Amino acid sequence: MTAVVTLEGVTFRYPGAAREALCGVSLGVAAGEIVALAGDAGAGTSTLLLVATGFAPRLVGGTLTGTRRLAGRCGIVFSRPWTQLTGLCSTVGDEVAFGPASLGLAREPVLASAGRAMERLGITHLATRDPAHLSGGELQRVVVASVLAMEPDLLALDDPAAELDPAGADALYALLPALAVGGMAILVATPDLERAASVATRAVVLAGGRVVADGPTHLLEGTGVAAIARAAGCPPPYPPDVPSLLRRVGR
Amino acid sequence: MSGGDVRVESVRYAYGDLEALRGVTLTIRAGETVALLGPNGAGKTTLTRLLVALLRPAVGRVTVGDWDVARKRPDEMAGRVGYVFQHADQQLFARSVREDVAFGPRQLGRAAASVVPVLDELGLMPVAAVHPYDVPPPVRKLVALAGVLVMEPAVLVLDEPTAGLDRQQRERVIGALRRRAAAGVTVLVVSHDLAFVAELVERVVVLREGRVAADRSARELLYDRGALAALELTPPVTVEIGQALRLPGAPIRTAEVAAALRGTKWRESAE
Repeated sequence: MTAVVTLEGVTFRYPGAAREALCGVSLGVAAGEIVALAGDAGAGTSTLLLVATGFAPRLVGGTLTGTRRLAGRCGIVFSRPWTQLTGLCSTVGDEVAFGPASLGLAREPVLASAGRAMERLGITHLATRDPAHLSGGELQRVVVASVLAMEPDLLALDDPAAELDPAGADALYALLPALAVGGMAILVATPDLERAASVATRAVVLAGGRVVADGPTHLLEGTGVAAIARAAGCPPPYPPDVPSLLRRVGR
Repeated sequence: MSGGDVRVESVRYAYGDLEALRGVTLTIRAGETVALLGPNGAGKTTLTRLLVALLRPAVGRVTVGDWDVARKRPDEMAGRVGYVFQHADQQLFARSVREDVAFGPRQLGRAAASVVPVLDELGLMPVAAVHPYDVPPPVRKLVALAGVLVMEPAVLVLDEPTAGLDRQQRERVIGALRRRAAAGVTVLVVSHDLAFVAELVERVVVLREGRVAADRSARELLYDRGALAALELTPPVTVEIGQALRLPGAPIRTAEVAAALRGTKWRESAE
């Protein structure tokens, strides 16, 4: 499969920072892949999303060495959705249409993309509402829809369910495989390893700005199930989810 | 009556035409640990804001200990009820993490002796001299929590305290809150994170459309599949494992499930 984004030996340092946020990171994400990025605070998962999408260093400054190649268009969803509103639109419909309209598309395809994206996120009923008056969960759906409306080839999500209730978070994660089947490459950074493990096709674990593991999703050993199995004396590899734990105890 | 008793009596609150609370009655005894659950828009945050006088009930009465909250200002309430906002950025303003945490006690003319132990407890000593806005958002959340813990309030109200936190930070928050609860502090958490709720609380109150839809022991509710499904909640993995293996004692905490599984003959692989 062709890689949508490729990083080779990428080292990145924020302006004025004492140390590198990313150090010698090499990573490719192909169309149709859902890669879960895991790591404790400061591991570099959010920075990796900024670098992969080109936001760093272009918009945040800093210095980058190594190479980054992106084939196609990318979109990023930040964990705090209110930082991502345009501030220019008085309705959700306009907010979601803002991205495709800025790409210079004609009116019909703009409205079609925006409509599809709102439908996918289940926010069609919010179309005439003012984005400034939405709850955190509603806003997060609007921001995801506004990025999807641009039909990116690479979708980067930074803790995209932080504001959502469990049903909303499940719905958002359930949407990812459908997007990947359509050919999107997806990078999702989140501390919610259980949900990430349930949809990801691959896991990349970062620590101190370096990739320390890259492979199948059972690498997400921080999941509650793995921690329980470890504490109960199960030998590694620790089961990542309940069904595999049950198989390991012979059920 | 202890300063940590919380009473909410027939409270209603509306934002314009939107009725957020439609008659909520709730009593929480000093030292109880309670989780407030419910879907987005159920009225959880509204209820917690009423406890610290950030909002005033249109109808009904809220008391904390012997204080009628309607007669208190938010700054007076801060001495008795510590509130950590869902978005920590709303409550940080000093030039360093240490100064931010020390602000509360200083305003009340109290000694700041507990600042360092609290910073240490939450793993914040390495960033004590850093500007709060120069630390990552999850760490800011811990700074806001530290600023509240250092005030030693009788009641702690925390809105989504674990959102965005990594494992280690979560463990620290759980540990800090368990220690406060053991010392008799009332702990009320608003959370969508049922795994966290299972680790911490003994009682769960579910709000739906501005009303109390359930008020039960956490263990009982988490093992009641029908009730959880009706509330559109998924049990945490601890409960899934406990149910699948019929573990004794209805374990809900990681340590309880691990203890129940100790001595298991594990297969080498899941194949």
